[in-house]
Amino acid sequence: MAAIEIGRLLRASNTGFVAGCRVAQLGSPEFGALVRVPLGPAYQIYGLIYDIRIEDDGLVRQLATVETVDAGTIADNRENRTTPIEISVLVAGYRQDGQLLHLLPPRPPLSLDLIYLCEPEEVRRFTAAGWFGYFRHVLRSVDLPVGELLAAHLQQAQQAHAAAGNPGWIEAAAQELIVLLRDDYQTLMAVLGALGDIAPFNR
Amino acid sequence: MSIDFQQVRRQIIELGEAAERSVANNRRLLEEAQYLLHEHARDYDAVRRKIERVVQAYDRNLRCALPLDEALDQGYPLPPLPGQVAILAADGSQIAPSRHESFEYALVNVGAIHMELGAAQAPVLQVESRLLYEAQIEDLTDATLALLRDLGERRLLADLATELPPGAITLTDGQMELWLGEAGSRDEHSLFQESLLEYKLVLQQLRAAQASAAGYVDRPAGRGVMRMLEVLRMTEQELPEVRRSKPFRPLRDLHLFRGLLRPGERSALFEIQSPSSSFYADDLALHFFYLNVGLEGRDSLARVEVPRWVVDTPAMLDDLHAVLVQQCRVMGGRPYPYLLHRAHEIALVTLQEKEEITQMVLRELRGRGLEVFEKSNKQLAKDLESGRR
Repeated sequence: MAAIEIGRLLRASNTGFVAGCRVAQLGSPEFGALVRVPLGPAYQIYGLIYDIRIEDDGLVRQLATVETVDAGTIADNRENRTTPIEISVLVAGYRQDGQLLHLLPPRPPLSLDLIYLCEPEEVRRFTAAGWFGYFRHVLRSVDLPVGELLAAHLQQAQQAHAAAGNPGWIEAAAQELIVLLRDDYQTLMAVLGALGDIAPFNR
Repeated sequence: MSIDFQQVRRQIIELGEAAERSVANNRRLLEEAQYLLHEHARDYDAVRRKIERVVQAYDRNLRCALPLDEALDQGYPLPPLPGQVAILAADGSQIAPSRHESFEYALVNVGAIHMELGAAQAPVLQVESRLLYEAQIEDLTDATLALLRDLGERRLLADLATELPPGAITLTDGQMELWLGEAGSRDEHSLFQESLLEYKLVLQQLRAAQASAAGYVDRPAGRGVMRMLEVLRMTEQELPEVRRSKPFRPLRDLHLFRGLLRPGERSALFEIQSPSSSFYADDLALHFFYLNVGLEGRDSLARVEVPRWVVDTPAMLDDLHAVLVQQCRVMGGRPYPYLLHRAHEIALVTLQEKEEITQMVLRELRGRGLEVFEKSNKQLAKDLESGRR
């Protein structure tokens, strides 16, 4: 199966990056999804999508005030105009020389690097490596909707693990979150509240 | 401090006082102009004869409107939209050469957009970027660069329209008459003559493709109809003074047709009488009409210039009229043809893009081991200044 390309890198640091994508590519990336940026044959950065932002401009604002906008004009604005959709990604780890690490990468990706959606097998490999070390990066981020992000990510990762015959992965993940947040009652409640809304916890 | 606001403030007050004084006078002039328009609304032949006589005898450079056979004081209703039609729009922008930059070059960038009316697909875009350097920019002035840009827009439209079925509508921003400006050196005039000949071929190409061509002028400053009325107002004895006699001078055609045209309506058609009329002869003769592209209670007048083959084909004229109003309504409360705005966006060269092109040029030259100069000291100082602001 061909890798699903979701955009190109606009700006980056060691802890996160922003990708620009076209509307035609917007069907693939989802909030909480794991993405990867290959930087060479042996080096690849992973991250979680925590924000998808659709920018506006003067023309879009003007068109939005019109009673009816025809399909051709909508298609022109979505497909031709240079108002990219911005996808913000939190860096979760990297792979170097075959080893997966839930650490911040030694160097960030560069402008216009291609960003791909991780396939289920890759999601399973990344989330099963080590012991949920990448949760640290999520929990450290004060400006993110941590509970919602973890819930969305865990739901997607759970599907990958369940399909591979490992339905217990999500319970281990939830246990680890409880341990990590044992001294932060407010965040713990927010995370558990969000997890309560996803399968298999909402049964 | 770069402006003495105290000085400017005093002048602004004087400006306000002058504007106040002009209101009553302009109202009186407008009433007189409106009266003349109604009075001569159906005297097409007599009006044409008088103007042709004035051009022959007194002023060969007279620029004014010539009536055809439509009542001058009527609005002509909005026709229905054609079922299927291709709409093409083009616009251009340019980088002018500067001896203060590291390398002197010019760029003409032309963007075109093609949309099928009513289709759900995104329009197709096309850009043509032409770099000019060395001999190509010798004697190049702002006026001749603008001429190359204007010609490039129309050439691209003609090439695109040739590939389409008959009936395509092609739009450009501004008047259709190529324009060099008032002054001009001998070199400029020579290039202008060459461009005119090529422009004629481009127009003929559009006509052969059975495409309509139109130049759209937003908030027009034209006063061709006013000038026509000024001529009509003159007695036989006054005609020798026609060059100097411009009693309606503060008024534009815009003022005359505001209130006369309901939203969606166009004015009568007029032919353009100008020194270049002889060049745009027969099927290429340039005509115009005013069009109210606004909404009820919010008039917005545009001037639309078309060649005679469009005027002589009623279906073509109706389709153009309907499509222009539809295109303006896409933009809601600030009517302007959507595709012309998009063509402008496509063609526009930003300062950042200009800087990128300059860097690409310099890299190419350095890569070949060629000497590259710095920007002039004056430019470097200006860049410092703009960096501080």
